[in-house]
Amino acid sequence: MNSNSHNPMASAANVHSGEETLRLIASLPAPQGLEGRVHEALRGASRNGRVLAWPKGAGSLDSLKNTWMRTAAAAAIVFVVVGGGWGVYSRVEQGHNGKVIPMPLRTPAPGGFSGAGAIRTPTTLPGVTVTAPAKNAAGQKKNAKVPSTPGHPAQQPAVASGSAK
Amino acid sequence: MSTSQAIYAGWMEIPTSAVNEDARRREEDAAISALVDQYAGALYRVAYSVLRNPSDAEDAVQEAFLRVLRHRHTLAEVRDHRVWLIRIVWNIVLDRKRRAKTRPETDDVVELARVLPSNGLSQEQMAAAAQHHARVLACVEQLPAKEREVLLLSAFEELTSVEIAAVLGLTESSVRSRLFRARNQMAELLDHERSSHERSCR
Repeated sequence: MNSNSHNPMASAANVHSGEETLRLIASLPAPQGLEGRVHEALRGASRNGRVLAWPKGAGSLDSLKNTWMRTAAAAAIVFVVVGGGWGVYSRVEQGHNGKVIPMPLRTPAPGGFSGAGAIRTPTTLPGVTVTAPAKNAAGQKKNAKVPSTPGHPAQQPAVASGSAK
Repeated sequence: MSTSQAIYAGWMEIPTSAVNEDARRREEDAAISALVDQYAGALYRVAYSVLRNPSDAEDAVQEAFLRVLRHRHTLAEVRDHRVWLIRIVWNIVLDRKRRAKTRPETDDVVELARVLPSNGLSQEQMAAAAQHHARVLACVEQLPAKEREVLLLSAFEELTSVEIAAVLGLTESSVRSRLFRARNQMAELLDHERSSHERSCR
């Protein structure tokens, strides 16, 4: 703590000088011509605002205030909006009938199994025919004789091995 | 047939609502113009006390009157135009100050040396006074926003505590308690600042 904080007179003097500064700034005069510049800014804004605003003004635009004119304008707007909407609607209907291809229904396979994504192959394409070579056919005949040999373990009955013990 | 002839002929009619509208608009313009003449200076001083930049303060005053122009239809409902206008410009300057960067103390020294009255002081005395005022303003900036706002507005002699309360949207008692707190905090800050300044001088 400094010594001044214990001195109420010094603190009061400090506050007084501080407020004096603020009062001095608060009493500074406004620059010359401020009002004129503000008037000018307001005039400019007012002019711009009238351009953007709905024409309520004088002259030939007065006719717009008439009720029948307003009604005609409203009717024209409604006609354009409804006509446009109908045009879009009718086109969408035509496109729907001509171009959309219906997807086949995917029914689950019976027995709880899925089809695993399999699709039916069209029958319009000729299937591939595979002809078996002649050698392979002969080999198959030889192999067919093998099981008939008496020493083959596959041919021995299980009962016979159990009774040998 | 000219327009006036057509009106007299009776088939072309100007509705009375349009006439009333124009008359009302002219009255509002005149009222706003009178407000500018009467209060532009006061609004400038309020704006300058916060922004401490002449061109920014003038911009704020112009923006305040443009807002008045936009809400001209509410002019008739306003009871105290002065407080209403100060409230508008106060909100504008606070908003601008919030968006602006922190103002360096050296800017204040230069600006204060330029604008403060010399009162027969020498150049050195003027520079010392500007530095002192800038230090005071730096202390004001350190105050909490609520206390600072009340302290700044209390410096305007034409504003009573009731009017300050109206500008800030507070009760008069809360304005007084904030002002009390602001003065205490300001005393502490100035004491601290003064002692550190003396230490640096040694």
